[in-house]
Amino acid sequence: MSLLKTNVITSVKYLRSFSVLCRKSNQDHHLKKCPILFNTQRWLFWERHRKGGYDTTIKTSNWEHLKNGLVELKHELKLFAKELKELYDMDPLLIARPGEIDLLWCFNSPTVLEKFVTTCDSDHGEGYSSCNLEMSPAGRALFHGYLDTRVPKDGRIKKAGYCAMRSKMQRKSFKRASTFDWHLYNTLVLKVRGDGRAYLLNISTEGYYDITWNDIYHYILYTRGGPYWQVAKIPFSKFVLGSKGRLQDKQTRMRFDKVTHFGISCGDKIVGKFNLEIEYVGLEFDPTHDEEFAYEMYKTDKYIVAV
Amino acid sequence: MATKILRHILRLPSSHFMYRRWESSNTKVAVYDPFANKPKKNKDTYLEAIKMFENQDNRRRGHVEFIYAALARMKEFGVHKDLQAYKALVDVLPKGKFIPSNIFQAEFMHYPKQQQCAVDLLEQMEDNKVMPDSELEQMLLNVFGKRGIPLRKFWRMLYWMPKFKNLSPWYLPDELPNDTLELAKMAIHRITSVDPTMKIEIWQTEEIEACIDKTWIVSAQSETQKILLSEQPPDEPLVVRGPYEVYLKEQVVTYFTLLGKVRPEHKDDFDQDDVSNLKKPSGIPGFIGQTTLPVVKCTVHEQDDGTIVAVCATGSSSRDSLLSWIRLLEKYDNSVLSNLPVIFTLTAPSNDVVVQETQPAAEDVKRVQN
Repeated sequence: MSLLKTNVITSVKYLRSFSVLCRKSNQDHHLKKCPILFNTQRWLFWERHRKGGYDTTIKTSNWEHLKNGLVELKHELKLFAKELKELYDMDPLLIARPGEIDLLWCFNSPTVLEKFVTTCDSDHGEGYSSCNLEMSPAGRALFHGYLDTRVPKDGRIKKAGYCAMRSKMQRKSFKRASTFDWHLYNTLVLKVRGDGRAYLLNISTEGYYDITWNDIYHYILYTRGGPYWQVAKIPFSKFVLGSKGRLQDKQTRMRFDKVTHFGISCGDKIVGKFNLEIEYVGLEFDPTHDEEFAYEMYKTDKYIVAV
Repeated sequence: MATKILRHILRLPSSHFMYRRWESSNTKVAVYDPFANKPKKNKDTYLEAIKMFENQDNRRRGHVEFIYAALARMKEFGVHKDLQAYKALVDVLPKGKFIPSNIFQAEFMHYPKQQQCAVDLLEQMEDNKVMPDSELEQMLLNVFGKRGIPLRKFWRMLYWMPKFKNLSPWYLPDELPNDTLELAKMAIHRITSVDPTMKIEIWQTEEIEACIDKTWIVSAQSETQKILLSEQPPDEPLVVRGPYEVYLKEQVVTYFTLLGKVRPEHKDDFDQDDVSNLKKPSGIPGFIGQTTLPVVKCTVHEQDDGTIVAVCATGSSSRDSLLSWIRLLEKYDNSVLSNLPVIFTLTAPSNDVVVQETQPAAEDVKRVQN
């Protein structure tokens, strides 16, 4: 029985299915032992992996886990004490002050950079771009790298060329997942110094169910370029909903209390170096902006949209 | 034995029987590529090759393979941003045959290879920022009918692409000029657009007699920057920083900045909440508070890594052209530069430098004299 099981699993593994209607078996069985990621399974109704098959977990032994846990315990207890204190204080922010910017991250020290993770296509052997998030000579965060749209010739990848930075998961003490709560604000404010490229701002609102795991709200950050700083104020109503990079037909407003990540990515198909210096990312309440959602939400004919 | 047979059966991909139809066309067949041996690669020959394919067989066998081959060769022929070329490719598909005639056909992707091919074509249009028009919609409707997947893709494109087309606050024309001087002018105009009083001037280095590198300089300096430069103390050096890059779509322009010393932040000790001594200034009815401007006026040019005094782009980006720039700045209204030291911090000369340099590549201080 166990033999049957394993065989079924392996045969399923080498079957790529993009939908129920379009399947394809992998002929490249010889790549079995290769560290390249295979797992591009996408079933129609159900998704197995939260990261879409990209296995990024670092394998550690139980002993290592135990040691790491003890080291982190101190930190977690501190965090827990802070949470308790906050609970005792009962002093939440109830109104946003119009015209004042509440900073999410002010990139003035290297410790702030640790709250971010950078990813590019070469991390998974899917391209040749590279990127880095460092302190700039002016003492700010500098997201820089090289964007390369060359496609690796493995017959599997059709397009390549992205670099991204994303905030780490928001969490409470003892590794409990948490979310941002931005319901007081309606505008995202960034002070940046770019190089004339267009960047993409990503606000992930991952939900509980698998269809919401890849929900990201996007908007474009155009940079002027040059030595002068620019302040970009972007209302949240302008952000468009995409899933796995595809704009969705049925658009909805962002759930401000369920924001899980914030990120910036560079993927404008222009090969070359890129530099984006960021001073801060903040939130603002703009009382003059009363738009709730900038895109049409009317009903269309049946079986045309979102099918 | 039984387990062996079972294992053998299970080892076959489960899709093998059900989806044999899809896999049959995956086998690699050498397709005759009519685009490979065209002597001239331009739009006319591209359209001609498509016409030849249409005429050689009125059943148009292998049109999906042909369209994929044609899509892959678009960049080579320089038609990847040409709507007419895409329309010619859609025209290859036969009309009427692929329109589903009942709900089952409509639901289960009638002619999937052909539909996928049209979707890939539209995707390539989207990637190359080609906006479709209503004529293409009509063509696709004639091929796939209104329930076709390519039509859904098309409508999505027509819905979203115009929304994002003119979003950039810094306008750029569809076709950028080929002339580097024009590009440099556009780039300098864009990066200095923070200050509306910015004046952009084009100088030739020939005006300076001592110059080796004969080229042009696009320099930008506003009246404010002139004042800031004149307030630079003579014992503190100015710094030429660069080369930095700015992108105008795919084009890259290198620019340099002239930085002055970091100016102290203006401190305003005036207590706004102090109402003990309110004075109403004469002449401004109803105005309460300070009317005089702060002593150090804060401008956009004062940043905490230095005060930007001027910005330029030169034809060769060489050190000699930058030296000429400093001298030209001095010649035109910045006489203070004659007794200010200037540091050139170019880490390495950029690749298109013509001039032979004798100085070491590290920092070298040049006292500008005339």
